[in-house]
Amino acid sequence: MSGEPSGKRPQGSLPLEAVSRLVALLRESGVGEIQVRQGELEISVKAMPEAPGPRPASEAEAPSMEPPVEAVSPEADGFHAVRSPLVGTFYRAPAPGEEPYVEVGDTVKAGQPLCIVEAMKLMNEIPADVSGEVVEVLADNAGGVEYDQPLFRLRPEE
Amino acid sequence: MIGKVLVANRGEVALRVIRACRELGVRSVAVYSTADADSLHRMLADEAICIGPPPASGSYLNIPSIISAAELTGADAIHPGYGFLAENARFAEICERVGVKFVGPSSHVISMMGDKSAARRAAREAGVPVTPGSDGTCANAAEAKRVGAEVGYPLVVKASAGGGGKGMRVVENESRLDAAFTEASREAGASFGDGSVYVERYLEDLRHIEVQVLSDAGGKTAAFPERDCSIQRRYQKLLEESPAPGLPEEARKGMMDAAASLVDALGYEGAGTVEFVYSDGKFYFIEMNTRLQVEHPVTEMVTGVDLVAEQLRIASGERMEVPPGASSVPEGHAIEFRINAEDPRRNFLPQAGPVEFYNPPGGPGVRVDSHLYAGYKVPPHYDSLLAKLIVFATNRETAIRRGLRALDEFAIAGIETTLPLHLAILEDEDFRQGGVSTSFLSERELTSAEGLLRLVPAGESSG
Repeated sequence: MSGEPSGKRPQGSLPLEAVSRLVALLRESGVGEIQVRQGELEISVKAMPEAPGPRPASEAEAPSMEPPVEAVSPEADGFHAVRSPLVGTFYRAPAPGEEPYVEVGDTVKAGQPLCIVEAMKLMNEIPADVSGEVVEVLADNAGGVEYDQPLFRLRPEE
Repeated sequence: MIGKVLVANRGEVALRVIRACRELGVRSVAVYSTADADSLHRMLADEAICIGPPPASGSYLNIPSIISAAELTGADAIHPGYGFLAENARFAEICERVGVKFVGPSSHVISMMGDKSAARRAAREAGVPVTPGSDGTCANAAEAKRVGAEVGYPLVVKASAGGGGKGMRVVENESRLDAAFTEASREAGASFGDGSVYVERYLEDLRHIEVQVLSDAGGKTAAFPERDCSIQRRYQKLLEESPAPGLPEEARKGMMDAAASLVDALGYEGAGTVEFVYSDGKFYFIEMNTRLQVEHPVTEMVTGVDLVAEQLRIASGERMEVPPGASSVPEGHAIEFRINAEDPRRNFLPQAGPVEFYNPPGGPGVRVDSHLYAGYKVPPHYDSLLAKLIVFATNRETAIRRGLRALDEFAIAGIETTLPLHLAILEDEDFRQGGVSTSFLSERELTSAEGLLRLVPAGESSG
């Protein structure tokens, strides 16, 4: 399940209670997805299909654990880097066999999901924090990512 | 043997564990916050993963991040060090569930020893003397009064879930007990989410003496000669030594036997420390720390046992390798000085910032465990411990002289440290005699006449 608030990044505290109530409702009802919106805050909770199940660490190719020291900052030349807010496994698509959330060249809106980072079997959708064009995907699909590691390079909208 | 250990900590203790791993041929994984990107533990481990932002709540206490890092790197064990998650029963339980070995005892034992009144009960059942007081928690002030009438005053009301002096009140006589009981209970509820309290006799003029234990899955237990940790400031240990000066052999043996029987009764696994208060030839159990302690090198120096290597052996299901004789009276004397980033001349104001020059002492009988280097920036987010200086010599007098020499040699420029305080302690006549109580520092004041820091009896300072 994912309980990732999308929309504008909330400045205050996350309405975690509301999220957990939605998750409970989702479980009880058996529906696939619930979306609610209040003001600028939008919460969507989605039931996960069985896959992508936990992949044994050995199977996922040895994550390149190069520390996030970039030769050239992904933010250079006016680009914007979307960074991982947590440690986990990076997936470009919502589920195996499905299309990636975004491709290079796509234009995305702030709040639009770009990928999933899985941590402790929880799928966390990572939203774009600015609107703009996807210029480069900086992490390998199904590879490990660290906290603060750049995942996408965006050219922000004017 | 375990193949790869994730070290869920930072600073000197992360280095201590990484060093043990390297000597045993075990691979190590460091985790670090963005504030620790230039830290030695990140550089010396075989692999390193950034787990979160500077505040510990988002990084070193971030259980999902740490577990994910272990899964991503294929670590089969997690060493928690001390502090952070080291005594977090929930973390140990999650490790158990996801099949990563937690280097330490079971979550059940951690949780029992973390509950002070349950720990007292376990100690009493194992035949370990506990401070006279209530049997478990007290439901109300009337019950506390009955205990007071039985064991005498002064009495101390303590939070069962407590620590660090929170939810604690000392009561001189029965008339103050009602108010103290209510206050302690309310404070405990606010601090720990559990307002239950217990009462025990408050002992004055006592020494803090503790016994290091190791126990393996094969049921073998070792208790080591004691550490004296009576030099404290506001319940924080500053200087520890082994053996405890002037401790009668009977008391030493009594504490070691008591610690071993508690550990056996608990079915304990790994390293731990049983803490006692000692007063007038009598000792009483206070609590058990279910982890490696800051002051463990003192025991390593007098026994020759590598406690961290033993932790890893035990966690691997192997038998511990403790040489015969390690549990007898140590030959020689070790003293540890905690060098903190605090300014003793300005009421121990915490220090952060760049270390401009760093020259640790060397020579015979000197050990320094530290994550400092010249150019390192001490971040403001974490514990103030910068380095531990441990000196070892054939007897206490020589160890004190060696300590004076090594402290004098120890140069850290750029930030103020507790180095001058330790020199002042070693110059103190009562300390040199040995066997001072935990009120040693509170009974004294620091003066810095002529630039040299000295300890004088409280109230006599002229500035």
